[in-house]
Amino acid sequence: MLRRFRLEEPESVREVSELLGRFGESAKVYAGGTELLLAMKEGLVQYERLINIKRVSGLDEVKLENGAIKIGALCTHHQLELSPVLRQNLPALVKLEENVANVRVRQVGTLGGNLCFAEPHADPGTFLMAVGATLIAEKSASKREIAAERFFVDAYETCLEADEVLTGIKVPVPAPRSGVAYLKFGYLERPSVGVAVALTLNGGGKSVGDIKIAVGCAGPAPKRVEEAEALLKGKSTDEATQNLPKAGSVAGAAAQAISDLHGSQEYKEHIVGVLLKRAFQSALSQC
Amino acid sequence: MEFQKEIEIHAPKEKVWNFIWDVDQFIACVPGCKEAKTLEEGKRYSATMVEKVGPFRVEFPTTIEVLEREDLTRIKAQASGADNKVGSRMKIGLDVHLREQDNKTMLSFVASVDILGKLAALGHGIIKRKADQVLDEFAQSVKKRLEGDS
Repeated sequence: MLRRFRLEEPESVREVSELLGRFGESAKVYAGGTELLLAMKEGLVQYERLINIKRVSGLDEVKLENGAIKIGALCTHHQLELSPVLRQNLPALVKLEENVANVRVRQVGTLGGNLCFAEPHADPGTFLMAVGATLIAEKSASKREIAAERFFVDAYETCLEADEVLTGIKVPVPAPRSGVAYLKFGYLERPSVGVAVALTLNGGGKSVGDIKIAVGCAGPAPKRVEEAEALLKGKSTDEATQNLPKAGSVAGAAAQAISDLHGSQEYKEHIVGVLLKRAFQSALSQC
Repeated sequence: MEFQKEIEIHAPKEKVWNFIWDVDQFIACVPGCKEAKTLEEGKRYSATMVEKVGPFRVEFPTTIEVLEREDLTRIKAQASGADNKVGSRMKIGLDVHLREQDNKTMLSFVASVDILGKLAALGHGIIKRKADQVLDEFAQSVKKRLEGDS
């Protein structure tokens, strides 16, 4: 049963930050509640106050701004599925969002809420690392941009300060001759392994100019795997394809996979390799 | 969940053995453990275990019972506690062995940890990882304390 709590409804980021600063660990930001309220109903966490940030305007838009796609933290997964800006510039994120959890979660769950709750079996964090996204965190008098790969600290932990609010996500518009793919494997709605690949070809489309690889869901937090990228970057597409098994095992080891009822550590590491190969091929085919 | 660890300590076996039985020193090595009390010397102890994974926090008032003891060699103990606020229980079976090897002491322990109740909703993997971290920190802390003042 959900215990009693007080609902604060601020209308600006400054007010949200002030409330967070004032009430500390007894308060929590409420952005969609699909995960937070479940945990509260189970009695796993208790907060005296929830700070509903859905009254803060301007945080639920997707737009193009200075060569980047800016996604408001309060955009629901469903909004992202339908966004014309994303469909045109980043269709791989639309595909990911179409497959997040279930229709009820997608209707109310927000991208910002998903990232801040930092549940290990979530898709967006892994994807955002591969596409070089930055996360915008604001508090009363300041604003900073955090690279997606530095945002997650551990399971259920981010680098946000106690009075900081995630207000948006900035993703560079993919360059010409580039491709992005996110693939996951799991049981029903719960991904056990997720792999994202974003690559750009150069040399007339014959070699891998830039590549970013991220793995998630298998371990405590998503992780960018630069060691695996180094095995493919600058290589001809044929040579990179040959190096995929090695890159897969490097990425598998980096995933910090945890054995559980959904598979052993070794099994998940193997799946990382399989998904990396497929995601690479899918991204390549888009170039 | 089963965990096994072995710590190589550059200290004589007697010193390690005495350290284990010094409740205050020993408890100081267990991350999140506080308010340790001796209920019955050499047999029953109590302490409170506080652990945190992100926003999830549990507090287990715990009773530790020494089941078997072979001086300077082995201790078998059992700890159990419940967090009624979160609705979870914890049970730990612990087998500790000491052996001497080239002027060092090898302290090995096997722990079987059971977490029951709502906390299990966090998932086996996350709980196992947390327990692993606690045991690693404990092992390093014991080694540091015993070697630090040898």
